[in-house]
Amino acid sequence: MTKSLRELHDVELAVQAAAGGRREYGELVRRHGSAVRGLLRRMGAAPSLADDVAQDAFLQGFQRCAEFRGQGTFAGWIKKIAARLYLKRVAHEARYVAESEVDEAATPVDHARTLDLDEAMKALNETERVCVSLCHGAGMSHPEIAAAMNLPLGTVKSHVKRGLDKLRARLQPATDAGGRSSHVG
Amino acid sequence: MSADEFDPMIERLFARTPPLADEALFLAVFQARLEKRSRWRSLILTAAAVIGGGLALREGVKVNFSDEGGAPVVQGLRSASAAAQGVVQTGLDGLGLGSLDLMSGSGMVMFWAVAGALVAMLAAGAVKLSQDV
Repeated sequence: MTKSLRELHDVELAVQAAAGGRREYGELVRRHGSAVRGLLRRMGAAPSLADDVAQDAFLQGFQRCAEFRGQGTFAGWIKKIAARLYLKRVAHEARYVAESEVDEAATPVDHARTLDLDEAMKALNETERVCVSLCHGAGMSHPEIAAAMNLPLGTVKSHVKRGLDKLRARLQPATDAGGRSSHVG
Repeated sequence: MSADEFDPMIERLFARTPPLADEALFLAVFQARLEKRSRWRSLILTAAAVIGGGLALREGVKVNFSDEGGAPVVQGLRSASAAAQGVVQTGLDGLGLGSLDLMSGSGMVMFWAVAGALVAMLAAGAVKLSQDV
C-alpha cells in the first residue's frame, strides 16, 4: 500500500522531488512555506519581499533537491537557501555595515505584557536581528553567517550575543513569571 | 534562566512558526511558477532536440554509397536515404534552417559557437546556483 504525500517523511519527499516529482515538492512547500516566510520576516523583510524571496528559494531548492541528502532537516536546508537569497537582495543597501543602534529608550521593556518572539525581535537592530535569525532560525554557524554577510567573525559573534541579551531581557520576565511562553509568534 | 537554557528556548521559538493565513495562496503561486518554468524548459529543450536531431539526421543520411548500380540492397538504402533526407530537409526548411550546412565552414563555425555559448551558459548557471546555496 502506497503512502499518501502527507504520510511521507521530508527526506522521502525530497528524494522523489529530486527525480522531478512536483507534487512531492509541493508538499514540502506546503509544510515549510510558512516557516521560511516567517524566518525572512523575522530577519526584517517586508511581507511581500519575504514571500518573493521564499518563492525563489523554493524554486532553487527544487533545482538542487538532489543535493539534499538528509543531513540535517529539509527545513534547515531550505531556510539557509532563503536566508542567503535575502542577504543578496539587501546587500546592495550595505545596511549591515553602517548600522544604527536602536534607541533603547524609545523601545522600553514592557514587563507587564507577555511578549512573543516577533515582538521581542523589534528590540534588536537590523544586523542583530539578521544575525540572531540566521543563527537560531536558519541554523547557520557563526563562520557561515560571517561569510554570508561579509562581516568579520568577531562582529557576528558580538551581534548574536547582543541580540540574545536583548531578547533575554524581553522574553525572560514573561517566561520566568509563568514558567512558560504561552504565546509564540 | 542561564544562557545554556535560553539559547535552546530561542531556537524552539524560532522553530514554532504558526502557519500563515495565506499558506494555500503561497503554494498555488509557487506551483504556477514551477509549472511555467518547467514548461519553458521543456519547450526550449524540445526545440533544441528537434533542430539538432534534424540537422544530425540530415547529415547522417548523406551516405555516399560507392557501389554504383550494385546490389538491390544498396539501391534500396540509397532511395530510402534520399527519401529520408527529403523529409528532414522539408522540416528544416519549415524552421528556416534548411540552408544550414554543418559541413561547410560557416555552418561548422556556427555549430561550435552555439555549442560553446550553451556550455558557457550552463557553467555560469551552475556557478550562480552554487553561490546562492
